[in-house]
Parts: sequence; structure tokens; C-alpha cells
Amino acid sequence: MEFKEIQFIDSNAQRVYSNYIQSIKNATKQLYAEDSLEILMEFNSHLYESVQNKNSKSEIDILLNAIDKLGTPEEVLKPLVADKMLDRATRSFKPTDIFKALFLNIGNGICYIIFGILYFFIGIFTLSIFLKIFLGYRAGLFYSDDISFIGYTDDNNILINEVLGNWFIPVMLLLNIALYFIITVALKLKRSINIKYKNK
Amino acid sequence: MNKEFVVKWKSQVKKGTLSFIVLNTIGKKELYGYELIEIIKQTTKIEIAEGTLYPLLNRLKKEELISSKWVNQESGIPRKYYLLTKEGVTTLEEMTAYWKGLESSIKKITNHGI
Repeated sequence: MEFKEIQFIDSNAQRVYSNYIQSIKNATKQLYAEDSLEILMEFNSHLYESVQNKNSKSEIDILLNAIDKLGTPEEVLKPLVADKMLDRATRSFKPTDIFKALFLNIGNGICYIIFGILYFFIGIFTLSIFLKIFLGYRAGLFYSDDISFIGYTDDNNILINEVLGNWFIPVMLLLNIALYFIITVALKLKRSINIKYKNK
Repeated sequence: MNKEFVVKWKSQVKKGTLSFIVLNTIGKKELYGYELIEIIKQTTKIEIAEGTLYPLLNRLKKEELISSKWVNQESGIPRKYYLLTKEGVTTLEEMTAYWKGLESSIKKITNHGI
């Protein structure tokens, strides 16, 4: 399937149309090319049919009317883009896709905030790896009967021991990878459970 | 009359019944977006925000109640037709049964009181 531009006789109508098509492209640029094209073609078809089916007014009036009724692409396509972005993120496993998808879906339920917090923990753990590299024994996994934590201490009289030493770096790396995988699979499962649950 | 209340109530009813209206309309024959909107407007007199209909169609498709296919046109601008899936047909039957029950209950209440 290919996108074909509508040709208008009125040059103003052509300009308004081109601007609208460009805003659809902008609103969907984060999506996979095929999803973006599908949305663009469907809106294009809607505009074409609107113009074809109303012969009484001028081209520009019909077009402006159709565009008004469709609404601003950024606004009207928000739920569609948010949903397709989540689909893309759970397929690609890319951190940038996941970040964008969670950001777009943050208003769609508390679970997306929880997923955001879980990914935030991975960020914190990654930071602790850098702390270990630059601060040595002051950073790592500290463990005693009284207190246990992952992170950094500036206490010179450390009574608790950092238990992993240089092993902290590979252990945290592996833990991060495993967590990232588990959280993303959970996000994917959440989506499919949602769909199945709604269907029942 | 509390106009504001009625406006809000109408909008809630519309929102709650739009998917039922869409499934019913597509159930009669395969339709493309623009045609679907025009039929709904003509038969129900409901002014729907056209842009919101496409995300709704996407949601119904994701829930496997409808499917879609692109059909080439002479103009070179293809139409995307929507049709009910098997699951869509049974879901619509269930929704229709519920709607009829609701309709008769409302009739009872509005005609005779409790």
C-alpha cells in the first residue's frame, strides 16, 4: 500500500491539506513506519471521501470543515499513538521506546506509574555500578545485622562491610539485565491479559 | 431544567453506547471510516467527533471484535473497510440481549414507576 496525495485545484486548499498531512506525520513519527503509514492513509482516505461527497461548497470550505471535525492530529491521535507505542516497546525491548511508551501512557492507569518506578530502580542500580567504579570500597552492597543497603557511604568508620568487592559490578550488571527482561515481559503480559480480560 | 447536567448526561450516554452503535452498524455491512460516520450521523442524529472514531475502531480491532482490509480504489486512494469477526458477532449478540433487557427495564420505570 502506498500513500497518495490528494490533488486540489485551489492552491490554498492544497497548502492546508499538506500542513495537516505533515501534522499527522509528526504526531506518529515515534511509531513503526507501517503503523504510521496506516494511520496516515486512513486519515487521507477520510479527507478524500469528505471532499468527494460534498459538492455544494468550495474545496477549501469542505476541507477545513473535514479537518475541524477530525481534530488536531496531536490531540486526536494521542490514545492511538500511546497504545501503538506500548506495543512497539514490548516488541523491541529498547529502553528509549519503553521510556516514551510509559511517558505517553502515564495517564492511562496506576500500573504504568508502577512500571515506571520499577524501571527507575534499574536506573538506580546502574548508578550504583558507576559509584563502585569511581568510589571503590565506599560503594557497593553493605550488609550487617543492623543495616543493609546498596549504594554509597561517606562514613570513615565503616562498621559494616561491603560484601561483594569487585564482584559487585558483574553481579549488578546481571541483576539489571535480568530485572529489565522480567519487568518488560511483565509489561507485555499485562497488555495481553488486559485484552483477554476485556474480551470476557 | 438543569441544562448543564443534561449535556453531561447525554455525553456519558453517547460515550457508553458508541462502541455498541459502531458494532451494530458494521454488523449490517462492511464499511469504511467515512461511510460509517455518515451512516451513524444520519440514523442516530448523533454528532460524533470524527477523529475519536478511529482510535475506537483501533481498540475494537485490538480486542478482536472487528477486522479490517484495505480495498484499492480507482482514485488511487484506498479505503479501509471494517467487518465484524466471529467473536465480534457473538459479543454483539450478548450486548444486544443486555441492551434489550435494559430498554424494557427503563420502559417499566418511566411508564409505571416503581
